[in-house]
Amino acid sequence: MRRVNTVVEGLAPSTFRRAALAVLAMLLVAVATIEGALAQPAPTPIEELLLENTELIQESSRRTIEPAIAAIADSGLEGADVVLQRWEARDLFVRESDGRFFLAERGDDRDTYNLFHVVTKEPMGTAGRREVDQIKPNSGIRALIAAALVKFQLTNPDPAVRRGALEALLREPSAEQLDPLRAALGRENDPFLKGAMERAERLLTVRFEEDEAKRVEAIESFAGDLSVEARATLNPLLNTTLKVSKEGPDEDENVARVLTPGSENLSFDAAYDLLVRRDLAPRIINAAARDAALVEHIENGMVAGVPVASLDTREARDAAYSRLEEQGAVTQTQTEDEIADLIASFTFYEVYSEPEAITGAVLGTIAAINRSVAGYGFLDIALDALSLASIYFLAAIGLAITFGVMGVINMAHGEFIMMGAYTGYVVQQFIPNYTASLVVALPLAFLVTFAAGVLLERLVIRWLYHRPLETLLATFGVSIALQQLAKNIFGTQARPLTAPDWLGGALVINDVVAISYIRIAIFVLAIIFLVLLLFILNHTRLGLEVRSVRQNPRMASSMGINPDRINMLTFGLGSGIAGIAGVAIGLFAKVTSDLGSGYIVQSFMTVVVGGVGNIWGTLAGATLIGFLQKGIEWFNPSNTLAAQTYMIIFIIIFIQFRPKGIFALKGRAAEA
Amino acid sequence: MRRSILSQPSVIIVLLLLTAFTVAVVGMSEAAGGTLSTSLVKTLGMTLCLCLVAIAMDLVWGYCGILSLGHFAFFGLGGYMVGMWIMYARTEQIVVQAAQAATLPPTPQEIRDAIGTQIFGVVGGARIPPIWTFADSLWIQLLLVVLVPGILALVFGWLAFRSRVTGVYLSILTQAMTLALSLYLFQNDSGLRGNNGLSGLQNIPGWESTPQSVVSIYFFVASAIALGAGYVLAAWIVSGKFGSVVRGIRDDEARVRFLGYQVEHYKLFVFTLTAVIAGIAGALYYPQAGIINPAEIAPIASIYLAVWVAIGGRGRLYGAIIGAAFVSLLSTWFTGGRAPDINLGFATIQWVDWWQVLLGVAFVCVTLFAPKGIGGLVDYVVRKP
Amino acid sequence: MNHKTLSLLVALATSTALTGAAVAQDVECPIKVGILHSLSGTMAISETTLKDTMLMLIDEQNEKGGLLGCELEPVVVDPASDWPLFAEKARELLTVHDVAVIFGNWTSVSRKSVLPVLEELNGLLFYPVQYEGEESSKNVFYTGAAPNQQAIPAVDYFLDELGVEKFALLGTDYVYPRTTNKILEQYLKDKGIPAEDIFVNYTPFGHSDWSSIVADVVALGADGKKVGVISTINGDANIGFYKELAAAGVSADDIPVIAFSVGEEELSGLDTSNLVGHLAAWNYFQSADTPENEEFVAKWKARMGEDRVTNDPMEAHYIGFNMWVNAVKEAGTTDVDAVTEAMYGQEFPNLTGGTAVMLPNHHLAKPVLIGEIQDDGQFDIISQTEEVPGDAWTDFLPESAVLKSDWQNLGCGMYNTETETCVQIKSNY
Repeated sequence: MRRVNTVVEGLAPSTFRRAALAVLAMLLVAVATIEGALAQPAPTPIEELLLENTELIQESSRRTIEPAIAAIADSGLEGADVVLQRWEARDLFVRESDGRFFLAERGDDRDTYNLFHVVTKEPMGTAGRREVDQIKPNSGIRALIAAALVKFQLTNPDPAVRRGALEALLREPSAEQLDPLRAALGRENDPFLKGAMERAERLLTVRFEEDEAKRVEAIESFAGDLSVEARATLNPLLNTTLKVSKEGPDEDENVARVLTPGSENLSFDAAYDLLVRRDLAPRIINAAARDAALVEHIENGMVAGVPVASLDTREARDAAYSRLEEQGAVTQTQTEDEIADLIASFTFYEVYSEPEAITGAVLGTIAAINRSVAGYGFLDIALDALSLASIYFLAAIGLAITFGVMGVINMAHGEFIMMGAYTGYVVQQFIPNYTASLVVALPLAFLVTFAAGVLLERLVIRWLYHRPLETLLATFGVSIALQQLAKNIFGTQARPLTAPDWLGGALVINDVVAISYIRIAIFVLAIIFLVLLLFILNHTRLGLEVRSVRQNPRMASSMGINPDRINMLTFGLGSGIAGIAGVAIGLFAKVTSDLGSGYIVQSFMTVVVGGVGNIWGTLAGATLIGFLQKGIEWFNPSNTLAAQTYMIIFIIIFIQFRPKGIFALKGRAAEA
Repeated sequence: MRRSILSQPSVIIVLLLLTAFTVAVVGMSEAAGGTLSTSLVKTLGMTLCLCLVAIAMDLVWGYCGILSLGHFAFFGLGGYMVGMWIMYARTEQIVVQAAQAATLPPTPQEIRDAIGTQIFGVVGGARIPPIWTFADSLWIQLLLVVLVPGILALVFGWLAFRSRVTGVYLSILTQAMTLALSLYLFQNDSGLRGNNGLSGLQNIPGWESTPQSVVSIYFFVASAIALGAGYVLAAWIVSGKFGSVVRGIRDDEARVRFLGYQVEHYKLFVFTLTAVIAGIAGALYYPQAGIINPAEIAPIASIYLAVWVAIGGRGRLYGAIIGAAFVSLLSTWFTGGRAPDINLGFATIQWVDWWQVLLGVAFVCVTLFAPKGIGGLVDYVVRKP
Repeated sequence: MNHKTLSLLVALATSTALTGAAVAQDVECPIKVGILHSLSGTMAISETTLKDTMLMLIDEQNEKGGLLGCELEPVVVDPASDWPLFAEKARELLTVHDVAVIFGNWTSVSRKSVLPVLEELNGLLFYPVQYEGEESSKNVFYTGAAPNQQAIPAVDYFLDELGVEKFALLGTDYVYPRTTNKILEQYLKDKGIPAEDIFVNYTPFGHSDWSSIVADVVALGADGKKVGVISTINGDANIGFYKELAAAGVSADDIPVIAFSVGEEELSGLDTSNLVGHLAAWNYFQSADTPENEEFVAKWKARMGEDRVTNDPMEAHYIGFNMWVNAVKEAGTTDVDAVTEAMYGQEFPNLTGGTAVMLPNHHLAKPVLIGEIQDDGQFDIISQTEEVPGDAWTDFLPESAVLKSDWQNLGCGMYNTETETCVQIKSNY
C-alpha cells in the first residue's frame, strides 16, 4: 500500500494529477475489490494541507490549533469549508501509520473501517479498527472552527446555516468578522435573520469599530436591552485598572474614581499590599518572617541573648525581634503610624481602559439596563417562589384532605407520591410516546394510589381513628415497608421519567425572567386541584357528607350517611391526589424510592402552618413556605441548606404563636 | 410509696438481670480472656445506651403522652458534646508532639491554629469556630452534655406547652425541630464538620495504650451503670404522686388541668429530664460507635426510637428496654449478612432486602393487634399463674 | 503485546507464583475477602454495583485457580449507609471473619469511620472512589482519583481548551465538594482568576429545586466573560439539576458543565438528549476503546444483564483487586505488612490503556479522561492525559503543600518537608 502511494506521488505533475488520479483510483478500486486490500491515490491539495497540519490536528488542543484552522480556512482551496464542517462534526479520521485523513464508516464486521475521501467521499479502501483514530475536536475547538466557517456560511442559501453561522460568530466574535457581516447584512432577505444580523452587527460595532461616533451610536442603541449578550458586550467596556501614584492621575487618563484607603472599597491592608507589589513600600514583617529571622539568628540555643525555649509566646518573640533590631541584625519593623503616613502620601485611583466618550455612553445606557435587570430579577425570584409554593401545595394537598379533613396522620403519604412517580415510569416503559404516556399515567397514578389508600384505610387506619398517635406510627411502618418494597422492585438507582417535548423548554420572557414549562404545568395542576377540591367539598353531595362526618360522625350516621364509606372514599381521594402529584414531581425532579420522604415533613408543616381542615389554609401555608424559602435564599444565595434550616426554625416559632395555623377553624368544628 | 422503689419486683428483676448480664459479658470478653469479640461487646454496650434513651422515650411518651419525635436529636447532641472534647484533645496531643520537632517552641496561638487545620482541614476549613471554645476542657464539655439538650428541651418545651400545642401537632413540631437541627449540622458552616461529623471517637485521649478490648469494657460497664441508674430514676418518678399526675395528663390532660395541676410544668419537667437522659445516653454511645454525624439525628432516627418503645410496650419501663434491645440487635443480625437466605424455589428472599419490609409490617401488626407490645406479653405471662 | 501473549504471560506468572506459594504456604484456606459496601439505605444506589463487581472479580480469580492454592471466599456485609455501622462491620470483618483484605466504602465519611478501626487492627482497605485527598493512611490503598487526578486537570481543560474565565462551583454540601472547591478556588486564584469571578454554591443531598441556581449561573455571563460550571453535585440531585439546565436551554457551547460525580450509572436515570456536550472528568469511561475494556464490559453485561453499565469506581476495584492478587503472590502470604510492601510499584494495565502504578503514597498513577455526554447516556472521550501520579496532600493549599506521604521510604503519611518531621503516623480522621 505504501509502495503504491510513493509511485503515484512520483508520477503526478500538477496538471495531470487529477485526471491521472481518477483513472488510477478507479483502477485501484477494481484491483482492491478483487484482492480485498486497497491502495490509495496521492493526496489531493486539501489533503496535503491537512497532512501538513496533522500533528496540530491530532494534538487537538485549542491553544495550538488556530494556525491549522486558519491555514485551511484561508487556503482558498476548493472543499476547505467542507473539510472544516466535517472536522467540526467529528467525521474526520486519521490513519496512525501516515497521518492521512479520511472519512470512515464501520465495516460489516466490527473490526474494520471503510475509508472515504475527506471531500469527495470516494472510497479509499479499508483499515483495521485500531489503525485509524477519530479526530474529536472539543467544544472550544469546534467554536473556533465554526467561527472560521462563518465567512463561508453567512451567504449560504440555507437560512438555517446562516443562523448557525450567526450564533457561532457571536460565540467567538473578532474584528475580522465585522466586514463580512456587514456585506452579508446587505444581501440578507429573511426578515428575522436580517434583524438578528443587524443586532450582531451592532454588538460587533461596539467592540471592534474604530470610529468612536459609530461606537457611541451602537452603544446607545442598546438602551433598555436586557439580554445577557448586550450586557456582556457593554460591561467589559467599563473595566478599570487600579493605579497608584504620588502625583495623582495624569491629564489624559479617564479616571473612574479615586479611592480612599481604609474605605469599603480599599482596605488599608489591600492598599499597603499594592504599594509593596509596586515596590513603593517595604514588606511588613509578619509572624512568619519574624520567626524565620529568629531561627536564623539562633546561636547556642539563644536568640539575642534570650533562650530559645522561652520563645513560646507572641510577646516573647516580638521582644526577641526588637532586640535583634537594636543590634541592627534585622530589618526594622514599621509602626502603625509610619505605615499610615506612607499610604497617605499616595493617591489610589481606578482608570477606565476606554476613552471617556465611550465610557460615558456606556454608563448612561447600562444604568437603566441594570435597574430593569434588578426589577426583573425580583420578578424571577417571585416566580420561582410561586413555583416552589405550587410544588409544596401539590405535595401537601392530599394530606390536607387526609390529615386536615379526616384528622388522620398518614406518614405513608410520601410513599403514595413515590408510587405515583413509579407508575409514571412504568407507563413510559410500555408507551414510548411521552405525551400519550402522560395522558395515561395521570389517571392511572390516581387509580393506583386511590386503591392503595382505600386498602390502607380498610386494613389499618379505620381501627385507629380514636388513637391518632398510633396511626402516625402504624403508617410509618407502612412507609418503611413501601420504601423498601420499591427498592426491591425497581432497584435503588433513580429511574427516568421524561417530560414530553412540549413541556421541555422554558417560557423565556427575557434573559432575566424565565420559567420552565414543567413548572408552569405544576402550577396549573395545583390550581386545578384547588378548584376541584373546593368544588367537591363545598358543592357536592360527597363534600357535604365528608364535612358532616368530620364534624359529628354519629349525628351524620343517624342522618343516613355511612361514615365508613365516606372515610374510605375521602382517604382514597387524598391518596389518589398524592399519586398525581407524584407524576408531576417525578417529571421535574427524580424518581427514587425515597422521593416521598423528602416531602413528608415539609408537607405536614405546610398543612399545620396553613391551618388544619382548610384547603385555603394549605394554599396559604404552601405560599408562605415557598416565598419564605426563596426569600432567605435570595439573601444568602451560596447556601441553600441554610435557607431550609432557617425556614423550618421560622415555622416552629410561627406555630408557637399561631398554634392553629393561619386559617384557624373556629367554633365547634375546631374541637371535633 | 417512695420507700418501696427498690422493693418493686420489676425494678429488682431488671437490676438483677442487668447485673448478671454485665458480669457475664465482662467475664466472657476478650479482655478477660474470653471469647466474646470486642465488636460484639461494643454492640452490646451501644445497645444498653439505646435502652437508656428508650426509657427516656417511654417516660415522655408512654407515661406522659407526648409523642416526641426529637429525642434522638437530644441523644445526638450529647454525643456531639463529648465528641468535641475527644477530637480536640486527641488532636492537641498530636499537634504538641509534632511541634516539639520545630526549632522555636510553639506559641499557644500556633498550637490552636494547628489544631484548627488538623480538625477542619478535612472539611475545607482551618479556623476553630466559636462553639469549640470549651472543647479543651473535659469537665465543661461533660457539663454541656447535660446542659445543651436540657436547655434546648426547656426552651422548646416551654414555647410549645405554653401555646398548648398537643397531640400530633406537637409530634410534627418536634419532628420539625429535629429536621432543623440535622439540617443545621449538615452545613459545613455550623462548625461541627458538617456531613463528616466527628470521627475517631473510640480513641479516647489519655487511653492510647489501653487496647480497645479494654476500652470497650469500660464503656460497656459505664453504659450498664447508666442504664441501671436511669431505670431506677424513671421507676422512682413514675411510682409516686408525680407519676400519677403524669399518667393523668396522658389520659386526659384537660381533666388534670381542671383539678388544679399546672399541667405545663409537669410536661416541661418530664420533657427536659428525658432530654437530659437522652443526652447522657448519647455521650456514652458515640465513643463506642466511633463516629457521629448529622445523619444520626435525622428525623427517621427519632421515629425508630418510638417504634422500639411501641414494640417493647409503652407505659412499662422494661418494655422500652426489651423493645430497644430486641429490634436493634435483630437489625444488626439481619444486616450483618449472617441471616440465612430463604429459597422459595422461584425466588430467593435475602434478608438484607426484606428486613425493612418485615420491620414495617411487624410494626403495623404490633400497633393493630398488640398495642401493649412485647412488654404486654411479659405482663400476661407473669400474671397468668 | 497482543491479548494472547498477555494472557500467556499472566498464566506463566500465575504458575510460578503458585509453585512459589507451595513453599511459603503460611496462608489459611480459604482466603477471605471482605466486601464492605452498603446494600441498603441511601448509598446502596452506588455501592451495590461495586459489591457485584467484587463478586465477579473473585469468581473470576477462583476460576483461574484461586490464590496461593486457596479458594477466595467473599464475605459480604451490609453497613446500610449508616456511618457508625461501617466501623462496626469493619471490626467484625477483621476480628470475627479474619479477612485478609477489605474492598469497600464510597463516601468520605464512611472511610473516616473505618480508618481508626483499620489502623488499630492493622487491616487493609482498598478504597475505590474519587475523593478529596488531605489524608493518608498506612492501611488504605486509594485506587480512586485524588483531586490532582480529576479536579485539577478538569479545570485546566476549562481554562485552556474552553477558554472559561468565570467559574461557578456548584456542589452538594459535604466534605468532598467543600475540600475540592477550596483547592480549586486557590488554584484558580493562582491562575489569575479574581475572587469575584468564582461563584460557589452548596445544596443539600437530593436537592431538587434548581431553577434559581441555574438562573444565577446564567446571569454570571452578564459581564462578558465565558462562564463554566464545575459540578461536584452528588447522586440523584444531579437529575433535577440537569433537567433544569436542559429546560433553561443552557447549551454546552455557551455554559459548559463539568461534573466529577456523574458517571454512566447516574446518567442512566435520565434522558440525556438535552445534555449532549456537557462534560465529566474521570479516570475511566465505559466507552474506552481497548481490548481489556471490551472484555471487562462484556463480562459485566453477561453477568448482570445487557442494560447495566460500567463506571470509574468499578475500574478502580478491578485494578485494586488485581494488584492485591499480584502482591499476595509476590509476598507469598496474605499478611498485611508483607502485602503492603509488595504493593509498592505494582503495575497493572488500565482498562483505558496504559499502566497504573501503585505509588509509595498509596495512590495510583492513572490517566485523566474527559468525556462529553452523548445522547445514549455514554461518554465520548475527547481528552486523555498521560498517567498522573495521585497526590495525597494537595500542592495548592499552603498548609498541605509542605506535607508529603511516603510510606515506603519514610514510613509516614503526613511528613512535613519543611521541618522534616513526621506529623503523625496515624491518619487524621
